[in-house]
Parts: sequence; structure tokens; C-alpha cells
Amino acid sequence: MSCGGVLLLRAVGVGSHRALGALPQQRLAAGSLRRLLRTGPRRSAYVKDLFLGKIQKKDVFPYPEVTLDELNDMKQFVIPVEKFFNEEVDSQKIDRDGVIPQETLDRLKQLGLFGMLIPEEYGGLGLSHIMYARLGEICSQDGAIAVTLAAHQAIGLKGILLAGTEEQKAKYLPKLATGEYIAAFCLTEATSGSDAASIQTRATLSEDKKYYILNGSKIWITNGSLASIFTVFAKTEIIDSNGFKKDRITAFIVERNFGGVTNGKPENKLGIRGSDTCEVHFENTKVPVENVIGEVGDGFKIAMNVLNSGRFSMGSLVAGMIKKLIGKTAEYACTRKQFNRPLSEFGLIQEKFALLARKTYVMESMAYLTAGMMDSPGFPDCSVEAAMVKVFSSEAAWLCVSEALQIVGGLGYMKDYPYERYLRDSRILLIFEGTNEILRMYIAMTGLQYAGQVLKKKIRDLQKGNLSVAMEHVSAILRDSLNRKVSLGLTGRDGVVHPSVEESANRLEENVYYFGRVVEVLLRRFGKTIVEEQLAMKRMADIVINLYAMTAVLSRASRSVHLGLRNHDHEVLLTNIFCTEAYFKNLYNLSQLEKYPPENLDEYIKKAARLVLGNKSYTCTHPLERIF
Amino acid sequence: MNCIRRAILALDYSMGHHFLSRAAPGHSPWQPEGSCLLQGRSQFPRGFHSSAARLTSDSEQVPMVKPPTVSMKALEPYEDFFEQASGGQRDKTGFSRAVKAFAQRDMRKRGHVDFIYLALRKMPEYGVQHDLAIYNLLLDIFPKEVFVPRNMLQQIFNHYPRQQECGVKVLDQMENYGVMPNKETEFLLLQIFGRKSHPMLKYLRLIYWLPRFKNINPFPVPRPLPKDPIDLARHGLERIAADLSARVTVYQMPRPEDLGANPSQPHIVGIQSPDQQAALAQHNPARPVFVEGPFPLWLRDQCLYYHVLRADLLPPEERQEDKEIGPERNFYYPMQLDSDLDQGPWDDYEFDVDEVEEGPVFAMCMAGAHDQATLAKWIQGLQITNPALANIPVVFRLGAVGGELQLSEHQEGQGQHTREQEEQVSLKEEEKEPSQTQIQHQGQS
Repeated sequence: MSCGGVLLLRAVGVGSHRALGALPQQRLAAGSLRRLLRTGPRRSAYVKDLFLGKIQKKDVFPYPEVTLDELNDMKQFVIPVEKFFNEEVDSQKIDRDGVIPQETLDRLKQLGLFGMLIPEEYGGLGLSHIMYARLGEICSQDGAIAVTLAAHQAIGLKGILLAGTEEQKAKYLPKLATGEYIAAFCLTEATSGSDAASIQTRATLSEDKKYYILNGSKIWITNGSLASIFTVFAKTEIIDSNGFKKDRITAFIVERNFGGVTNGKPENKLGIRGSDTCEVHFENTKVPVENVIGEVGDGFKIAMNVLNSGRFSMGSLVAGMIKKLIGKTAEYACTRKQFNRPLSEFGLIQEKFALLARKTYVMESMAYLTAGMMDSPGFPDCSVEAAMVKVFSSEAAWLCVSEALQIVGGLGYMKDYPYERYLRDSRILLIFEGTNEILRMYIAMTGLQYAGQVLKKKIRDLQKGNLSVAMEHVSAILRDSLNRKVSLGLTGRDGVVHPSVEESANRLEENVYYFGRVVEVLLRRFGKTIVEEQLAMKRMADIVINLYAMTAVLSRASRSVHLGLRNHDHEVLLTNIFCTEAYFKNLYNLSQLEKYPPENLDEYIKKAARLVLGNKSYTCTHPLERIF
Repeated sequence: MNCIRRAILALDYSMGHHFLSRAAPGHSPWQPEGSCLLQGRSQFPRGFHSSAARLTSDSEQVPMVKPPTVSMKALEPYEDFFEQASGGQRDKTGFSRAVKAFAQRDMRKRGHVDFIYLALRKMPEYGVQHDLAIYNLLLDIFPKEVFVPRNMLQQIFNHYPRQQECGVKVLDQMENYGVMPNKETEFLLLQIFGRKSHPMLKYLRLIYWLPRFKNINPFPVPRPLPKDPIDLARHGLERIAADLSARVTVYQMPRPEDLGANPSQPHIVGIQSPDQQAALAQHNPARPVFVEGPFPLWLRDQCLYYHVLRADLLPPEERQEDKEIGPERNFYYPMQLDSDLDQGPWDDYEFDVDEVEEGPVFAMCMAGAHDQATLAKWIQGLQITNPALANIPVVFRLGAVGGELQLSEHQEGQGQHTREQEEQVSLKEEEKEPSQTQIQHQGQS
């Protein structure tokens, strides 16, 4: 951080210290050690318990906070960045030319934005996750810059940061932090999206065992032509414990000057046109053995960890973008008059603004809650939460930008106004860093994995006909059918939420409780074959995303009311609207999950799809067709 | 009233039956019509009375209401007339010329019923049996408005039964050939027989059912079938392959002058899908592949013969199961649940189907000749797109054309790689029986 002061983040109530900004030097070493590659099971975070119908309120209440000093430092730091983005970045030009001007890149480097996540000892800003999220809010004003920065530090150099050796860090991180080197993350190939087995790029060990020879092509590499450092994933042959030869994926740090690295031409994209995306080819590139990240054959875990850790910031990024859009469209809606009334007086326009505000509030709450959880000691595994933030915020972004464009009507369709650019830019959010479909599977599978382990014994006993377990089960069903009021401790005597959002909290509790029951039923019904029930998994993911969002807004609104922040009544209002809405959506999804295939349409939907896919075309005859 | 009507009905039925069996034994169409008439709600029962009267008047006009043997002989004059009028042209023009000539010959349309029966019989001969315009032309021969019942009684009883029967017969033939009547047909029938008549009822039934059956076949055969053997083969192969991504290749075009009965350079058309190509590429070269055939494929009235390139089912120990989706497969989410819980019994909607496992089929072809030399050319052509095939021994097991596949002498293994020939033959002999039955099964399916 620019001030370099010792900043500590206090998590109220828990009494633990969360790191924001630069950690004290003596703690830094320990901190970075703890950031080592995670392979074993980690402390489960809040969301996994939702699958059991439980709320671990100490994980999410109270809402994470920063100290006043940190806050002031943060504000000080944010000002120049904001000024730069407002005054010097010409997004329209970047979009039109399809390239970020060199001077803009240089200014970004000067501001240190290329080293936000790199610890201070390596010359970076060493920001905490919360702080990173805050800065992301500003960077999002230009999609291309945000993506360039994210590709550099959220994934490009994350491998080195997470699993690199001290030597690798000392060698590369300082230059990466200043932006002298730009990093790129090379995983996707023409044949391999998420399937690790179909990676074709291969690294073979040379005769003298000093370097690997890398061959292959990677596609859609952000920063592909700007970057000098690539994190490349390639197949290597290793000999496993049984003495068999096996192909495993290994991660390498590849410098451009190793030779044999070439780029394709820049891709012509729909949105984020200023970001640099191209193919990268490696042809007999010699990579020294010391440039292997982690162990040989560890590439898969590294890739997964890098991908999982990079997602949480999208929430604040999108929130920043929509906040800006709200400003612009509100201005328009209040000045444009039709029938002698400003647009803002029409109910359908008001509805859109309420939607924008609500979605922004929710994703902001989720993003900072998750960032706070990630900063909390012990480095809990927040990858599911981060995935949820990503899914929610990317979908909200697409919806909100489209609604904002709708507010300004035909104007929004014109290239002279920024709305269409926002629309194009936001479309990528649903696709990259794991498509939302894949992330939904990740969310549901991770939760089910956890629930399956916990519930295994109970379900086994039930299937075997253990009488006491069965009785317990039956009595639970009886209790539910008598419409017992669910209480999981959010409200009442030991409650953590403010009474003004108590009703919403009760709704959350009810949803969580019944969600737990449904998960158990589904595990009993499908067992491990639930992997094939993607439609059910999607519903589960939708429910749990809503549950997490409800938790985040409840936590944040309660804090705001308790502290008496300005306009906290607005927050309460938005919270109550969102929670009610989400509650009913969840109820619908839960009822669909409880049903068997013919009733919940899943079977029919699959059949309709099969018919279309079998014919590889739309099957119905034209409405004007006739036989006689 | 009701009981009177029933009595009339019964009488009518028995008499009608009797009358018919006398008039035209073996003429079945009336019988279903009669029973339909009993069931048809809107139809009034028709008495025999008026029809008996009609019979006499009819027999004056056309004196051959006699058993078919007699009528066949008596029909001959029209046959000659038909031949003459058509001018020897065995096609639509000739046919319509003959029909028009009859229509114009005589204002009274004497003998039109018999002429129509004759024309109906002649239709397939002239290749017009699928032509709606011809049917309408035939119906147009009937004199208009003469047979339309004019009062209630005529409506109740069978008015001009022979003519109605003939009209029904025309529609019947349309039904058999799947020709859909149109508005013109309806208009003609209305003009000829009126709304309350058997042909009209038949028409309504056709118009109700035929559209429903028209598209019932999910794999329609084009009408008319292509004349060109290559197009025909292409169509047949696409039909067997049932894979939209399969690609048809013409390996050899027939020489124009050889289009005759025994072409020295027959056409060879093959089909292969990308999946089959991949399977062939992975085939173990130590195991032979077989060219088998010919198997018949019927497309309407055409019989095509095809050959398959196939291999035997791998023994279980050599089978490469699809690589298990390991834990480290997907970068984004785990694809397996670490749990030993199984699916409960209630969500298993699959039928318990006992599937017969068969060896893979790598490609199919249709050729103008079924000898080994021709098929070897096909294999050569396949080698261009499937380089792996060059290393795999190919065994020809060819049977005789004519449906049933026989295990004859010329099925001796003639692998392109002679070094494995003996082994192949022994291998083949062991497996002859089961594999042949498998193939036959396949051919049928």
C-alpha cells in the first residue's frame, strides 16, 4: 500500500484479526507460508453447512469490517485510481480501436495496479482480498482494463503466488508487481476446455534432465501478446508408485525469451475488445526444470486452485459497473419527459431502478462478505462462496445492464452512448472463469460431497432399517408436517440479525431447514448417481446461491442498522424485498426438487432436447405447412 | 319408428348381401361399406327396393352384371378401346387420353362403370396409380347430377348402388396407394353422388385418416425413388447408417457405356460416420476385419444390396473400457461423488433391456457388383480416409445375392495380408455360425 502502514482488520464479535493491506513484516512470512498450495481437506466454510440445513452464523455474522485507519488509507488510495479512470481512460476509444493505449498501461503500472495481490516484500501492494475487491470496483469502469488486470494477477501469476518456490517468487514477482512483466494463464486448448485429459500440449524432459521441451498451442489467452510470463499447463510423463508411466499435468513458468513462443493474431471479440486475446503457440520451448510450479504432476491441483481463487472479485467489479450505470440512467429518467411527466414517475421504470439497486446491493454484500471470509485467519476454503458470487454477479450484470439499456430505450442501442458497450462487455462474465453452468455444478457437487459424507451413516442406517434412526426420521417428518416454526438461531434471544429484518431472517431459516431436508432426500434417492441429475443439481445450486445472498444482505443490513450508517433504512428495504423474492423462488425450486421426474418436467425437457438433438435441427413443421 | 327402421335395416342388410353375392361374388368392397353403413350414425339405412329397380335399368345399359368370369370377358371391348385411345403410350398422357376419349365418345356415358373398373386395373400398368389428377379424371366420367338422390326415400335407400360402389372403388384404390383426395374430388363427388352418399362418406373418411397417416413414417422413402443407382444407393446407405454426420463417398462412378446389365466398372458408394472412422483407427491390427454381404435392403419395390465392413466383438479381457473419469479430470468441478450410496429403487425409469452385443461396423457400401474385386476397390478407397486400414487384414465373406446368406466356398479368407491367412481362416471357422447369425439379424433390423 502506498502508505505502507500497519493495517489490521478487526472482525467484530469474532475478535479475530483479519489482514487488510500490508501485513506486518513479521506476520507476512507466516501468512505466505500458510498460503501454500492447498491439497488436503480444509476447514469448511459457511455454505457447505447449508446443505445440511444448518447455519453456521459465526462465519457470516457479523459482517466483516475494516478498522477506521484502514478505511481512511483505503479511501486515500482509491482517490487517485478513481481520478485516473474518470479522467484519463477513454473507454470508447479502447473499445473502438481494440487495444489499450500504451500510456494508459504505463499509468496503470505507475499506480501499482499490476501488483495488487503481490505481497509487499516482492514489491507489490500486498492488498487483502477486501481491498482488492474495493479497487476492482473502480477498475470495472473499463471492462478491457479490468480483464487485463484480472488475467495478469487473478490467474496469470496466481500459480507462482500460491505454489511457487521462494526462488521463483523472488525472481518473477517483483517484475510482475511493477508491470514490467505481464503474466498470462495458458490452460485452454482447442480440444480442452474443462477436460484435463484432453490437453495436448506436452512437455518432455530433455536428455540431460535440465529442462523440459514444451510443444503445443493454447487458445483464447488473455494478455497473450502482451505477456512475457506464461503459466502453462502441459502433460508430462511421470512414473507413478506402481512403476507405470502416466500422463500428468504439470504447471510451468514460461518466459517469452525462452524461445519458440509465438502468438496468433488478436481475436475479434464481441466485448472487452480492448483486452488482448490471442492464441499462443509453444514450439520446442526450453523450460528449465526449476521453472516447474509445485511438483511435477501437480498441475491439476494448481490449475484448480488458481481458478477457484480468482473468482470472488467479480461481485464488486460488477457492482462498481452497475452503480455507475444507475447514475447515468437515473439522470436520464429524471430529465426525459413524456406526456409532461418525467420517466421516473412511471411504475415500470421505477421497477427497473429498484431491480438495479437490489441486485447491486446483494452482489456487493456477497462480494465483501466473501472477501472478508477469505481474509479471516486460517485461510478457509471459500471457493464455493466465490463461485456463487461469480454466478450471481455475472447473471445480475447481464440482466441489469440490459435493463439499464432498456430504460434509455433507443438511445441505448446507439454506439455513441456507452450502454451497448457495457452490454457487450458484460456478456463475457457469464462465460469466462468457468461458465456459470459449470460453476453451478461445482457449487452443488461440493456441497453434496460434504453432505454425503455427513449423512452417509444416517442414510445407511435408514436403508438397513435401523429402527431408532427410522423413528427419528419419521418423527422429524411428523414435526415438519405440523408446521413447526423453524428457528436456527438468527433471531430471538441469541439472535444476530436486527429486528427490522427479522422476518426475512425467518424466511432464510425456513429455506435453509427445508433445503437440508431436500438434500437428504435427494441423496437417499439418487446416491452417487446424482452427478447425472444435472437439472436437479442446477436447482440446488440456485437455491444455495439465493441462500448465501440472503445471508449476506441480512448480515450487512443488520450491521448497518446497528451502526446507524447513512440510509440504512434503504438497506433494510432492499434486504426485505430481496429476501422475500428469493424465499418464494426457493420454495418453488424446493418443491420441484421434491417431485419425481414426470411431475417436475425434467423428463419432458430432456425428451424435447433429445428430439431436437437427434435431428440436429428444429423439428416442428412450419405453421403454414399443410397436407391437403 | 325405431323398430321399423331396424327391421328395414336388417332386411336391407340381408338382401344387399344376397344381391351382392349374386351380382359379384368375391367383390368385397361392398361388404365393409355395408357394415359401415350400419355403424354410420349420419347415414340413413338404404333399402334394396330402389336399388333393385336400378339394377334392372343398369342391366339394360350394361348387360354384364354377371359373375366376374363373364364380366372379364365382357370387359374386353373396352380393353381394346383403351389400347387404341391411349395410342400405345404407356404413361400419363396415354392414360388420360384414353379416359378423355371415353368421356367424349358417348354423351350418355354408356358402360362407364365398367370402363372405370378397367381403368382402375390399368393404372399401375401406366404408372399413374399415385396421380391424383388421374383419379379426378376418372371420377369426372360419371354423369353429373343423375345419381344424386332427390328425395328422402332415395336418400334412405341405396340410390344407384352400382355407381356408388364404383365410386367407392375409385376412392378405395386411392386409399390403397395413399393418394390424398382434394377439393376437386370432393366437388366431383358432390356433383355426381350428392352429400348423402357412400362415396362421399368414403371421401370424408379418407380426408380424416390419410393426413394423419401421411407423415407417420419417421423415415420417409422419397417418391418417386431416384432412378440413378448412385442416388438410390446414397439414399439407402443414409437410411441404414441412421447417423446425420455420416458421409457418403462415391468411390467409383459407373462408365456411361457400361450402364447396361453387366457393367464392367460398377458403381461403388460407401458411407462412414466420424465415429466409425475413429473406431476403425483404434482397431487392433492383429484382429482382422470382415467384408460381409450382400444383404438386401428394400426401398419400396426396389431391392438394394449392401456390404458391411465389420469386426468381431472383442473378448471381454481385451476390451478397453472408456477411461474412468478420474478425480483429476475436470478443472472446474468434481465429477464423482465420494460416496457409496446407490440410487434408490424409485428413480430408475430405465426398462430392463437385454442388449445383444455386436461387433463394431466400420463402414457400409453399395456396389453395382458383389464380387470381391469390386469390394476390394471399396476397401482401397476407404484406406485413403482410414490409413489404419492398410495394416489391418481384411477378410471377404461374401454370400450369394438372393436374400439368404450362404456359407459357400468362395468365402475363403482372402486377407490382403497373406501371412495371417491361415490363422484367419481357422478363426473364421470357429466364429462362422454366431457371426453370420448376428449379421443376418443386423440386416433384418
